[in-house]
Amino acid sequence: MTASPADEWRVEPPPGVAAETLTVAPPSIEAIAEVLGWASAEGHRVLPRGGGTHMGPAGGEPPDVVVMTSALNQVVDWQPEDLTLVVEGGALVSEIESALAERRQSAVLAEHTAGSTVGGMIAAGVSGYRRLRYGPSRDRMLEVTMATGDGRVITAGGRVVKNVTGYDIPRLSCGSEGSLGVIGRMCLKLWPVPESAASLTLDDVAGFAGLYRPLALLETELVITAYIAGTPEEVAAQAEAVGATPRPGLDWPGPLEEANQIELRVPPVLVEAAVSKVRDSGAAAFRAQHRVGIVTAGFGEWAASRLDELRGWAEGNGGAAVVVAAESESVDRWGAPPGSLDLQRRVKQAFDPLRVMVPGRLPGGV
Amino acid sequence: MTLAADLRQVLGTDQVLDHPLDMHIYAKDAGVTPGEVAAVALPATTQEVAAAVRISVRHGVPIVARGAGTGLSGGAVPTKPGLIVVLTRLNEIWDVDEAAQTAWVGPGVINLDLSKHTKPLGLHYAPDPSSQSVSTIGGNIGTNAGGPHCLAEGTTVSHVLAVEMVTAEGEVVTLGSAAPDPLGLDLRGVVVGSEGTMGLVTKILVRLIENPPEVRTLLLAFDSIEASARTVSAVIAAGVVPAALELMDRPMIEAVENFRTCGFPLEAAAVLIAEVAGHPAAVEAEAQVVARAGAEAGATEVRIAADELERELIWLGRKSAFGAVAYAAPDYYLHDTVVPRTRLVETMTGIYEIGARHGINMLNVFHAGDGNLHPLVAFDSKEPGMLEKVKAAAHEMVILSIEMGGALSGEHGVGLEKRDLMTKVYAPIDLDAQARLREAFDPQGILNPGKILPEGSRCYDFGLVANLESGATP
Repeated sequence: MTASPADEWRVEPPPGVAAETLTVAPPSIEAIAEVLGWASAEGHRVLPRGGGTHMGPAGGEPPDVVVMTSALNQVVDWQPEDLTLVVEGGALVSEIESALAERRQSAVLAEHTAGSTVGGMIAAGVSGYRRLRYGPSRDRMLEVTMATGDGRVITAGGRVVKNVTGYDIPRLSCGSEGSLGVIGRMCLKLWPVPESAASLTLDDVAGFAGLYRPLALLETELVITAYIAGTPEEVAAQAEAVGATPRPGLDWPGPLEEANQIELRVPPVLVEAAVSKVRDSGAAAFRAQHRVGIVTAGFGEWAASRLDELRGWAEGNGGAAVVVAAESESVDRWGAPPGSLDLQRRVKQAFDPLRVMVPGRLPGGV
Repeated sequence: MTLAADLRQVLGTDQVLDHPLDMHIYAKDAGVTPGEVAAVALPATTQEVAAAVRISVRHGVPIVARGAGTGLSGGAVPTKPGLIVVLTRLNEIWDVDEAAQTAWVGPGVINLDLSKHTKPLGLHYAPDPSSQSVSTIGGNIGTNAGGPHCLAEGTTVSHVLAVEMVTAEGEVVTLGSAAPDPLGLDLRGVVVGSEGTMGLVTKILVRLIENPPEVRTLLLAFDSIEASARTVSAVIAAGVVPAALELMDRPMIEAVENFRTCGFPLEAAAVLIAEVAGHPAAVEAEAQVVARAGAEAGATEVRIAADELERELIWLGRKSAFGAVAYAAPDYYLHDTVVPRTRLVETMTGIYEIGARHGINMLNVFHAGDGNLHPLVAFDSKEPGMLEKVKAAAHEMVILSIEMGGALSGEHGVGLEKRDLMTKVYAPIDLDAQARLREAFDPQGILNPGKILPEGSRCYDFGLVANLESGATP
C-alpha cells in the first residue's frame, strides 16, 4: 500500500476489524473524499463505518481501508418550526434524538440505536417500528452530501420538505450499504412527538383491527402489543375501543440477542404466515411488524437448511430473507438478487466507477 | 420505412398518429412552450410500449412519455422531434387488495378515479394534485406530484411501492415490491420524479390509505399575509401536522368569489384553509390548536365548518382557483417553488414586490404548510411584450426562492421551463452526478432528452476517472 494522504487521520481499528487494516477518521467530507479518491487510484477496497451496529454478517473479502465517520458528528442546523434537521453522518442517533426530544420532535429512526450513527442507519436502510405510522427512514431524507467512491463531494435534494429539483439521490443513498460513497451530511424531515403515547397488550392480532393508524403493531415470541399515540383523549379512546389497559409510554421489546438472525421481508398480509414459519423453524425469539411485512427471528445456532427453507418461502411470495447476523463465515446475506441487477450495477458505477466501495456487498454481488 | 409506418405494423393503424394537426396538438403540455413531434404512439399494453421504444431507438428518435398532458413545466414537450408515447390507454385498475391496502394500476388511470374506485372500501390514494380529476397516476409519478394533502401524507414517492417500467433498451423491469425494503438500491425512488428520463412506467403498485374517521375543516381570515403565515408556523411549532394548510391571498379570493360563490370573506387580505383529520377524539383538540394559533396571530375570523356541506364549499373554493383564473384572463403562468416554512413571510413580501415592479396581475394560492408557493400570473399573451414580462417576473421569483434556501420545484417538476435554472441551485459537480445517474438508466440519451438537466451537465471533468482518462489521452 502506498503512502496514504490519510495517515494523519489514522485511528485504531474498531472491534471486529483486523488490527493491520488502515482505519481513518477524516475530519471533513472533503477529507473523506480525498481518502476515497486515493483508494480508487490505488484500487483499495473501502468499508465505511458508523457505529458498527448494522454491518451484517461477516464474510467476503476484508476491506483494505475502513473509513470512520466518527469525526463528523455535529448538528449543523435545526429549524424546529420547519421540522428539518441538518446533521453530519457520524452523529449518534441517540444523541440527536434526545436533543430533538427537548422540543418534542423526532427523526423517527430505529428505536434501538445504542452506538448507531445517523449516517450508518440511513446507509443500512434501517427503519424503526414506527414506520407503520411515519413511513420508512428513506422518507426522512431531504438532502444528502456524499463523498463518492471516486472522491467527489456531491450534494442533492434540498432543505425543504417537498422537492422535485432533480433526481432523488437522497432517497437512493438510503439503503445503499456504503456502495456509492460515504454519507457525510444530510437534512432529515422531522415529526412532532404526539402529546401522549401508550402500549396496549392484546390477546391476539385480531385486536389490531379496531385501531386507527397505530404507531406499530408488534408480535414477539411472548406478547402481542399495539403502540398508539395522539392526544390523551385519543389514546384513552383507542385503548377502550380494543378493551385494553393502556400502559403509558412506548415499551418497545428489547433487541434480539441471538447470534443468528434472519429478517423476512414479505407483503404485509403475510406476516401471520411468516410468524408461523419462524415459530416452526425453531426461532428462540422474533419481532414481527404487522402491516409492515418484516419479521426478524433469532436462532441459537446457525443452520443453512433453515435459511434455505425460510428464504424459499419468502422469495416464493415476492419477498426476501436477509441474514442480519450469523455464526458462519460463508453465508449468502441476501438470496436471489432483484430483477433490476443490470441497472443496479450501472447506478453503482455512476457513483463508484472503480468499484472500491464495499464491492460485492449489494445483492447479486454488485 | 418511416417511424410511423414501423410503429403501425406493431400497434395498428389507428394507434399511431402522424397527421400534422395531431402532431401539433401533442407538441405542447399545459405549459407555455411548444416542441416538435415526429409521431404519436398510443400503446395499450406494456409489450406495445416496449415495442414502440425499440422501434424509436432503431430510428434514433427521442422518446417522450405523456399522460394527460396537464404538466406545467414542459416535461412532456419534446425538445427535438420526438416520439410521443401516450400512456392513457393503460388505464386499468387491477388487484385492489383491501387487506394489504394496495392496488396495481396502469399509468393512464386518472388520479381521482382511483380514490373513487376504492371509496367503498374506505380507502383512498393520498396524493391529490389540483389536477387530480384529469391528471394520470403515471404523469403524477413523472413529477412526483403533491397536492394539499401531501403535508401529512407525503408526495407521490411515499405512495408508490413498485413500478413496472420499459427501459431505454426496450426491456421490461420491475423496481420495488409489495414487500418492504426490496433488495438492492432503491431505484423505484429514483424513477419517481424523473419525468420519463429513466424509463416509461407501465404498471404501478400504489399504497392506499384508510379514510380518516373524522375531518374538521377551518377557514381563517386575516388582514395580512404575515399574520396568516405566522399561523402556519405556530401550528407546526405546536406539534400539529394538519392534513392540509392552504393559503389564498385577496386577489385569489376575489377571483374565486367572482367565479363561484363559496362564502369566502372578500375583505380579508388572506385566507388560510386548514384541515385536521384523524381519530374523532383528537380532531376536535387539533382544530382548537389551529383556531387558537390563528386567533393569537390576529385572525379576523375563524370559521370551523359545521357540516360536510360547509366543508365541501370551502374546498370547492380552493379547488376552483385555477378555473377562476381561466375565467378572469385568457392565459396564466403558474409557478411552483418551495421555501422553508419559516421564510414564508419574507418570501411573500419579496414576491409581491416583484409583481408590483413588473406591473403584472398576480394571484396566490398555495400549500403554505409545506412552504410550497404557487404565485400565479393572469395575463393575455396577445398583449405585446406581456409573455416576456411574465417570464422575467417568474425568473426573479424563482431566484428569490432559491436565495431563501428553497428549491426550484415542489411538485410540478423541472421539465423544460426550469431546466436552465438548475445551475442556480446546484454546483457543476452536483449536476454532473445527476447526469451520471441518468446515464446509468439511459446511456444513449434517448429518453426525454433536454429535460431536468441543462445541456453540458455531464462535463467529464470531475473525479478520478476523468483525471485518469484525460491523463491517458493528453
